[in-house]
Amino acid sequence: MPPMRVSGKIPVTVLSGFLGSGKTSLLERALRQGALRNTAVIVNEFGKIGLDHHLLSRVEERTVLLGGGCVCCSTREDLVAALLELLHRAAHDGRPDRVVIETTGLADPSPIWFTVLRHPVLQHHFDVGRIIVTVDAVNGLLHLERHAESVKQAAVADLIVLTKTDIASEASIRELESRLRAINPAAEMMRSRPDDPDAAGIFAAERPYRSPSRPAPEPPVPGHASPHDGGTRSLSVRFDRPLDWNAFGLWLSMLLHARGVDILRVKGHLDLGGDGPVLLNGVQHIIHPPEHLDEWPNDERCSKIVFIMKGIEPQQVMDSLSAFQHVLGAEPERLASAEYAI
Amino acid sequence: MCVLCSGFIVQEHWSDARTRAGEDASTVTIGGAESRERRRDRWMRMKLANVILQIYGLKLDDWNGSKYILRDVKGMTEIVQDWGELWPAAQKLARRPVDPLDPDFLARLKASGGHN
Repeated sequence: MPPMRVSGKIPVTVLSGFLGSGKTSLLERALRQGALRNTAVIVNEFGKIGLDHHLLSRVEERTVLLGGGCVCCSTREDLVAALLELLHRAAHDGRPDRVVIETTGLADPSPIWFTVLRHPVLQHHFDVGRIIVTVDAVNGLLHLERHAESVKQAAVADLIVLTKTDIASEASIRELESRLRAINPAAEMMRSRPDDPDAAGIFAAERPYRSPSRPAPEPPVPGHASPHDGGTRSLSVRFDRPLDWNAFGLWLSMLLHARGVDILRVKGHLDLGGDGPVLLNGVQHIIHPPEHLDEWPNDERCSKIVFIMKGIEPQQVMDSLSAFQHVLGAEPERLASAEYAI
Repeated sequence: MCVLCSGFIVQEHWSDARTRAGEDASTVTIGGAESRERRRDRWMRMKLANVILQIYGLKLDDWNGSKYILRDVKGMTEIVQDWGELWPAAQKLARRPVDPLDPDFLARLKASGGHN
């Protein structure tokens, strides 16, 4: 799926990952490679990046909960200040090509989306890019078993980068990949090494980055409980006919009202009967403004939606979509595990 | 800015996004065919919403083409701007959770056959 890019806006990439999973090393390596020269970087801790990057700024995480709001619909005041400062500087020094926000190990990416997409000024200058999550190939399984935050980070990712693959065994890497696939079959996955010559490409990629030498492994059968998946379930749905946008918007807004906190990610392309698809992309309660493409990227011309959920069984969503089919104008069909790529 | 009620709309709800080619949030609509299109779209949305809302004993009406009024059978009302505000308001008037995964609700929706 191409990144959500409304022309002229600066994409904001979120770099997340559990404590010690190699976020900073990956970013540091990428910044040393020239391709990210005009990238603004926002980090929580200055000292860790041993690099004098001219567009580096540091923030103290300050989250402001809105009245009665949930945690995902909260504004990161620190980011508002940092991004406004960036805009101010851009007026003199030129605009950065992109912004990378490195979160703390436990931070939740949804408030970053909320901040960028809903702030009255920032929403006109910035757009959300991909969510990149690093997972430590040595300790990743342990983190997934012990820490719910680690599972959630993997669940919301667009791209999962396995780090420290040079010191982990092939068998354990494969086991970790299979576990991550079960949690988030829609994410792309790649392995990175300390001598990766194209670390910058991960952040600079206009299109989702896919390592040419390593095709994504076949996902295991999703929807089946694994003991350490933190209750995450995924579902991929296709519709037999073009959808009515008004009806779909009604259903999805109702679902997000009732279960938004547990809909960790929703992604898809919708066939609304036009020349091209409409891209859908959301994290919890926050849905990116739908973007219209002029033409279909391949021959597959149908609506396809992937849900990554916590504590909701895929069958519950299928039952709801089936009951809504007269309203939606199309019948849902649950797709097999291999058809998760959006 | 809404010229009718002088309400200042900072954020367009994603479900209000125009999804046709060549349109975006900055498309300005003034009178003519586009205005008729917009009104028809609004009317269709309201009709669909009422299929769902009637199951909770609620009804949605248009207010000046700019907002909606949600009513229960006893005449209690809530003004809503978009679908982001609709469901919390519906839950408040219905005095029970509004959830599209609720099996009882789905059974009643199926029984209604998608009509109101």
